[in-house]
Amino acid sequence: MQTNLLSKVTNDKSIPMSDSIDHPQLCQWLKAVAETRDKRAFTHLFAFFAPKIQRISRRKFPNDAQANEVVQETMSNVWRKAHLFDADKGAATTWVYTVMRNVSFDMLRKIKGNKEDNLSDDIWPIAESLQAEDSSFEDHLENKQLLNVIENLPEAQQQVVKGFYLMEMSQEQLATHLNLPLGTIKSRLRLALAKLKVQLGEKHD
Amino acid sequence: MIKHHPTFELIQSYVNGDLPASLSAGISIHAEMCPKCQQHISQLTEQIAAVSFEEDSFDIEYFEESSFEENSFEQLAEAGDFKLNIDEMVSNITQSKDITQVVSSTEKCISFNNKKYTLPRALNNMQLDKPVNIGKLSRARIQLSENEIHTSLLKINPGGGVPQHTHNGFELTLLLDGSFHDEQGEYHKGDFIMLDGSHQHNPVSDQGCLCFTVANGALHFTQGINKLLNPIGSFIY
Ligand SMILES: [Zn+2]
Repeated sequence: MQTNLLSKVTNDKSIPMSDSIDHPQLCQWLKAVAETRDKRAFTHLFAFFAPKIQRISRRKFPNDAQANEVVQETMSNVWRKAHLFDADKGAATTWVYTVMRNVSFDMLRKIKGNKEDNLSDDIWPIAESLQAEDSSFEDHLENKQLLNVIENLPEAQQQVVKGFYLMEMSQEQLATHLNLPLGTIKSRLRLALAKLKVQLGEKHD
Repeated sequence: MIKHHPTFELIQSYVNGDLPASLSAGISIHAEMCPKCQQHISQLTEQIAAVSFEEDSFDIEYFEESSFEENSFEQLAEAGDFKLNIDEMVSNITQSKDITQVVSSTEKCISFNNKKYTLPRALNNMQLDKPVNIGKLSRARIQLSENEIHTSLLKINPGGGVPQHTHNGFELTLLLDGSFHDEQGEYHKGDFIMLDGSHQHNPVSDQGCLCFTVANGALHFTQGINKLLNPIGSFIY
């Protein structure tokens, strides 16, 4: 089970640029669209994602009209399916990416094979495509070595790690509880996990 | 115990949406039965998504504006060589009051010789032909219009097998139910077996099995009398 933690850390670290994306802000906009059909929040989402979707689609589709259709379809789905986004299961970028990927896939089938069978949501079901990776940490509880390592973290990181893993609080709950911005919680958690990885060392990998 | 998994390259193409529907469905079905691959897929999706939507220069400029100004979209449009009419698209999209409900699509079943199988979700909206039989094999073609790629459900009845053969292209066999064995060993439910033209094999199923198969070239039978079967090689896969 130890490797579980380590693979999580590895995964966490292997998204080098994700710090440059304001994930909590994207989540908030998506929630606002889902809960109050907030057009302003949607406009922000559109401004963030649409140019990127267009750029990605231009590489996949022979002409700009088709790339623009992917933008239109993907963003329509974001508007209509926002309530299916679950922030606990993954980042907003991951969710929008899967929506875009599915739209492109069905469109390419239509263009190449003349088939309008819309298979993508069966192949990659949106609602469940992102399985929670935070599988239980219970086994680690028994691991004194891990606990010792946690005890050696700076106090601020300890609070977050213990709350998140040992008490199974969400990052949002921790933010409220500790009266800190969500971004701070996330970066402390990231730092702490990076340290844990170093201290638990290669012997587990 | 599942022992055979799709390669990293295949999983990556699957996440990117670059594989044909037939192979995508194969990986989807395997992942449903294989938590290990499911987790790889989740992680890879997260990483690819993050990289795809990384900031670039004009977005960062936009993002750092704390206050939201009406004309910022126009600037954005110019900066990014973005020929979409954002205001119009946004207002068109947000006019819609529709909310997409997830309908759990009804399960699809198929019967081979009176044995009924519930098919994996990935096949729910695929068009299935009626099974045709040859000896101890029954095959139902799945109509995906992918040119030289043929996708099928293949039922091997107890004691049946596919004669020694090679492939012109690739051949995916995904075990949906039961087991079979060939010269390499025993295969079980969930195993994802990808072979190319360099392999020869002769799968036999003692108890019978149901497979999802994808192949992009007709089988080529290699042994003795079986060579006579070559004209029907394309029947099986
Ligand atoms: Zn697997």
